[in-house]
Amino acid sequence: MGHSSRQQAAKGLSAILLAFLFSHGVSAEDPERHFDETVAPLLARRCLECHNNSDRKGGLDLSHSETTQQGGDTGKVIVPGKPDESLLWQYVKDDEMPPENPLAADEKVILKEWIEKGADWGRTAIDPLRYTTDRRAGYDWWALQPLSTDGLASSVGATLSHEFVRNPIDAFVIHSLLDRAVSPSPEADRRTLIRRLSFDLRGLPPTPREIEEFAGDRSAGAYERLVDRLLASPQYGERWARHWLDIARFGESQGFERDKLRTNAWRYRDWVVGALNSDLPYDEFARQQLAGDVFGPNSASLVATGFLVAGPYDEVGQSQQSAAMKAIVRQDELEDIVSLVGQTFLGLTINCARCHDHKFDPITQKEYYQLTAALAGVRHGQPTAINDLSTAAALNAKKNIASRIKHLAAQVDEIDKPIRERILADRGNIVESVERPQPMSVWEFNEDFQDSIGGLHGEPHGNARVSNGWLLLDGKSFVATAPLATDLTEKTLEAWVTVFGLDQRGGGVISVQNQDGGLFDAIVYGERERRHWLAGSNGLTRTNSFSGYAETKAQPEPVHVAIVYANDGTITAYRNGQAYGKAYMTSSLAVFKAGTAQVIFGLRHSPPGGNRFFVGSIDRAQLYSRALSPAEVAASAGTSNETVREIEILPHLSPEQQRRRAELQFEVGQLRSQQSRYDEPTVYAVAPREPEPCRLLARGNTTQPKEVVAAGGVASLVGSDADFGLPADAPEAERRKKLAQWIADPRNPLFARVIVNRLWHYHFGTGLVDTPNDFGFNGGRPTHPQLIDWLAGELIRNDWSLKAVHRTILISGTYRQSSRYDEKRAGLDAGNRYLWRKTPLRLEAEAVRDAILAVSGQLNKTMHGPGYHDFRTFSSNSQFYEMLDPSGPTFHRRSIYRTWVRSGRSRFLDVFDCPDPSAKAPSRVVTTTPLQALSLLNNSFVLRMADRFAERAARQADSDHEAQTRMVYRLAFGRRPTGRELAASVSFVEQHGLSAFCRVIFNSNEFLYVD
Amino acid sequence: MIGMSRTDLHTRRDFLSWTKCGIGGAALASLLMRDHVVHAAAVPSESDDPPPHLPPKVKRVIHVTACGGFSQVDSIDYKPELEKYHGEPLSAEEKPDVFFGKVGLLRKSDWEFKQRGASGLWISELFPHLAAVADELTVIRSMFAETSNHTPATFQEGSGFRLNGFPVTGAWLSYGLGSETDELPAFVVIPDSRGLPAGGSINWTNGFLPARHQGVTIRSKGTPIDDIFPARPISDDTELASRELLATLNEQHLSERGDDVLKARIRSYELAAKMQLAVPGAANLDRETNATHKMYGLKQPETVDFGRSCLLARRLLERGVRFVQLFSGGAFGSPRINWDGHEDMLKNHGREAKRIDRPLAGLLRDLRQRGMLDDTLVLFTSEFGRTPFAQSDGNVLGTGRDHNQNGFSVWMAGGGLKRGFAYGATDEVGYRAVQDPVHWNDFHATVLHLLGIDHHRLTYYHNGIRRRLTNVAGHVVEGVLG
Repeated sequence: MGHSSRQQAAKGLSAILLAFLFSHGVSAEDPERHFDETVAPLLARRCLECHNNSDRKGGLDLSHSETTQQGGDTGKVIVPGKPDESLLWQYVKDDEMPPENPLAADEKVILKEWIEKGADWGRTAIDPLRYTTDRRAGYDWWALQPLSTDGLASSVGATLSHEFVRNPIDAFVIHSLLDRAVSPSPEADRRTLIRRLSFDLRGLPPTPREIEEFAGDRSAGAYERLVDRLLASPQYGERWARHWLDIARFGESQGFERDKLRTNAWRYRDWVVGALNSDLPYDEFARQQLAGDVFGPNSASLVATGFLVAGPYDEVGQSQQSAAMKAIVRQDELEDIVSLVGQTFLGLTINCARCHDHKFDPITQKEYYQLTAALAGVRHGQPTAINDLSTAAALNAKKNIASRIKHLAAQVDEIDKPIRERILADRGNIVESVERPQPMSVWEFNEDFQDSIGGLHGEPHGNARVSNGWLLLDGKSFVATAPLATDLTEKTLEAWVTVFGLDQRGGGVISVQNQDGGLFDAIVYGERERRHWLAGSNGLTRTNSFSGYAETKAQPEPVHVAIVYANDGTITAYRNGQAYGKAYMTSSLAVFKAGTAQVIFGLRHSPPGGNRFFVGSIDRAQLYSRALSPAEVAASAGTSNETVREIEILPHLSPEQQRRRAELQFEVGQLRSQQSRYDEPTVYAVAPREPEPCRLLARGNTTQPKEVVAAGGVASLVGSDADFGLPADAPEAERRKKLAQWIADPRNPLFARVIVNRLWHYHFGTGLVDTPNDFGFNGGRPTHPQLIDWLAGELIRNDWSLKAVHRTILISGTYRQSSRYDEKRAGLDAGNRYLWRKTPLRLEAEAVRDAILAVSGQLNKTMHGPGYHDFRTFSSNSQFYEMLDPSGPTFHRRSIYRTWVRSGRSRFLDVFDCPDPSAKAPSRVVTTTPLQALSLLNNSFVLRMADRFAERAARQADSDHEAQTRMVYRLAFGRRPTGRELAASVSFVEQHGLSAFCRVIFNSNEFLYVD
Repeated sequence: MIGMSRTDLHTRRDFLSWTKCGIGGAALASLLMRDHVVHAAAVPSESDDPPPHLPPKVKRVIHVTACGGFSQVDSIDYKPELEKYHGEPLSAEEKPDVFFGKVGLLRKSDWEFKQRGASGLWISELFPHLAAVADELTVIRSMFAETSNHTPATFQEGSGFRLNGFPVTGAWLSYGLGSETDELPAFVVIPDSRGLPAGGSINWTNGFLPARHQGVTIRSKGTPIDDIFPARPISDDTELASRELLATLNEQHLSERGDDVLKARIRSYELAAKMQLAVPGAANLDRETNATHKMYGLKQPETVDFGRSCLLARRLLERGVRFVQLFSGGAFGSPRINWDGHEDMLKNHGREAKRIDRPLAGLLRDLRQRGMLDDTLVLFTSEFGRTPFAQSDGNVLGTGRDHNQNGFSVWMAGGGLKRGFAYGATDEVGYRAVQDPVHWNDFHATVLHLLGIDHHRLTYYHNGIRRRLTNVAGHVVEGVLG
């Protein structure tokens, strides 16, 4: 709806309002009431915009009886009883005021008669926000009024018996269609209905079997049973969570300069999926996301607050030197959060009142700061929320990952085996095999500083960074891990390390230390003996020379160094799997305590400084909680006789084998990373902090603080109390608790209206209000105001069950209509806003990808857990994402399990209108572009899936082309081809193959559009 | 479409480049001929108040974004007083609140300033080649920004807002003006060959505008645009037959329905074919003469990267692309690959300027000689400038400079501008804009103005507000208009 047409609508509305006021009997005997009901609205709508208390054009303020009597710069403007002597009337009569938009004749009558009868006032002051004008909404704005409860009976009761009506929704719809002399469409056929429902509720196509069953089920209630079955399917939560994540501007990286990954943000996504699947009552759904940490019921509830901090975080801005600049960054962040809360739950753009009172809706600047005060304790953080990492679900998921890794490793082994055997045979003597020992911690430094099997995740200090699979240490930087989870005495330290600058002295490669560095054991380079390795320790108490040999040149490959600390006090060193000089005994080993000791890289021990830094790179490091045997060290180093290293194998593989091997390895890496993300007890969520006093900021400017503001709501929401009754210094938990209660209150008129409109929006493609985040003056007007109120009432009456509302909508005749275009009816309602048919919808980006996977038989339905990465990360101070098209079941999960990085957007999904994860997207624009066509024609994913689809169809059909073609139609469209389609298709398949045909099918309109 | 005839497309060389990519240009061309859609057509504005709102001076834009903070006092904002005060502390009234919190002694430019050309514009020896085309430049010396934090400042430079999620200028123009051609994307991005700017694709986001307005990255080597060709070879015959079968299936589907969106989607495959035909030719720099290669610095190792980007940009503009954004510099960190000269200005700016000086001068000369500079706008901007004092302890004359949001310089060139002209001024040492300060909102308003757009009227409704590139502010900088 364009701006001008909105204004038209608003004008129409005010005309209706006037007519209403007239019809409700203006009492001549009661001039005060007459003023309040008739004159005041007129003044408010048409005059107060320019003549109010704060803006007195011509010195005139018409909002107050006294100031009106006083008049303006040119003296009195009203002479009671004598309109012709009143300046006000003269201006209005001659259409000079209001400028550009003079009063209508009936409005002039009101004004003239009022002056004639003595210009009496009612209430002494008119609140300029009291009435809606043609430029802005007042307190009487439709969306702010309590839900109307009599819509059904009073207005559409007569249409309840219309043949189209299956439930009350249809009564509202047919009522407004009949008003416009438009007839509804007949019910769609069964195949269309199940395809529609399946995509709508699960985001996936129905299987051929499901279609046949439904098409064949002629018993009563078949449709309703299908709706219930699909609503109960776990894919419902996945599908509808994606909608919610759009609204929540959910991203899994920080955005801004560094754009670091949030490795634990997936738990919020899982929370949403789970909450929707279990039909968590919507009021509770909202309360948890606003203050789950406050309400409980358990520590995991704080996961839900991931909602508030799902947006970008300016890490550099928050840590910069300038306090003044930091304050601005923080205010920007709070605006983002206030706008999120206001738009998501209330459909109000409260954020527009940061610098001044809202220009279009009755929201004051002070109220904006009340909301800010309510949310001022919200900080981005990574609190520990998961007490039990070993739930049955998690264990099961990890077991599946482990078995998948094993499966992939076997495939790698299959590729390697013949080569390895040949190399070993060439070497001759095969000795007893030793298993590679299992470390307690492994730092691969592939993309981050994480411990890929344990919990000792590293944090970089200084310029320590990972690049190209190396930890780079510049002699000023280091990495320190989380504290040890268990005590450590006997141990083995191991690293693959490259030394930059052979003559550097004293740098530590890997150390175990207590946090002040007073106790440590370390692999140290060149400390006492130039170019030698030694076992560094505090005060050199456990340090002797190994009398190993000196490094002589920079190695093309890293050196493997291991130091073994055995319980008997023996310390042994190894270089490239061979003993390094001589072992020696110390009197006793150091005991490193859980909770206080940690591992560090690049620094001999804390504190940072002196000659303790190392310059070089670490390819990989490992820590064992026991002393390895020489054979085990050799096996780990990859140098024992029966171990053949990757670097020896690769040259013997064909390019295709190398590609396949790299693909398998990438998937293994991804699964390992998922394992470790499963074991993170932290979540990206609110880590509250008691706020400073919150002040109103004049013009939103942090350098112009005004009065202190206490937490509170927006007063213009009729029926709910915006006063939280909290002092300005109330604890932050109290503030959010009150905020959540105020928002999710059944008396709050917007809370239920906004969510039922969202449900409608996703089911029909357009909401009853076409701006789901904005129910204010700038937003769309409801096409069916009584229907929206009735649905909101239904939600409340059904104890806030979203599934109940879904069901009501889905079983309506309105939803079941055919989508067939009709020129005549389109001429009356081209946009189908009055629902004379079901608007055909193009699949959203995720559904396009998921449907391609599903029909190709490649969809991995694994639910929940850490997401997959369709990128490789590399960090160069900032985090970067190189987009890939990885292959394998790990990456063939539903698109909601993609890791949604802000600067690593998926090209394929983007062309199908995936929103920027930093922008709140209450609705997605649907575009049709040549880049979209090019993606579907040429993208490697599509071509690969066309192969898989063809293989599947060939497997499930006979070998003749016609049967295969029919199978493709059945799987992709759920129908038989027409004779003409079949002829053209079979001839194509004969000449160009089944895969090329599947590619065409993926590109067809029928695949992408749902009737 | 300007400057290119259809025969241009059907040269042997183009077809060769097609064959290399493993797809039949001839097949697609015949498909298009059959459907009578061979000619490039304009893409209309999507705005409900479509421009022009006033007579446009220029039709297209090339925007060079210098990442990291480009130093005004070493390049185009000549400050003789800074030479005088070299080694002295800043005056007592100024209490700079700088990013890294270190305010060293005032430091003069490491490069000598001279007056250039007929206009006498001051340009330092940092840009000897650009200095030779000084009379084309319009310098604004009084820019100021809202933050001295790189990424929010860069976002604001592009989108008018400090935050993620707002559409950048190129996206706004794609939405507001459409394109002169449907054969190429309206908004094209060429990142620095050394790496993406911090924030990566956030810097060319469509924000809340429809996704089609997102910048499309294009390369001057290898496959120019992602997915322009099949990820694996597909024979001409199969390609042609596939398009025909697709058309047949879609026509039948449409005949039972009749919706416009379905028709539009059928047409998008024709547009895709046009794009497939046009892109390889546009990206093929071998088509340019040796003299042109030299002019853009393609012969020198230090300028070849940026030179290729500039030349590619010109070829795209020639073919009707609306907005090309070039990045000079990548992300932050060490080693530095952008203008963020905290440690050593001489080394840092010396290296960065060398990469772009000759190509930029070549670009301006080339646009001029082709008659394109009259209706093209060239922009050179940086998210903020650098401090006139060193980034070092209070009594030390360090070699680097910190971020400076309070005063910095940008330059423009092209139609509708006062040429060889400098607008506004900073204080005597070049720290703070004092005369005619220009905010990004003003800068954007001016760019839109030159394109025939009233910045108040280029709007898009999003979550309660009719959003603008210029937020709720911005004044056209009349003083730079010719």
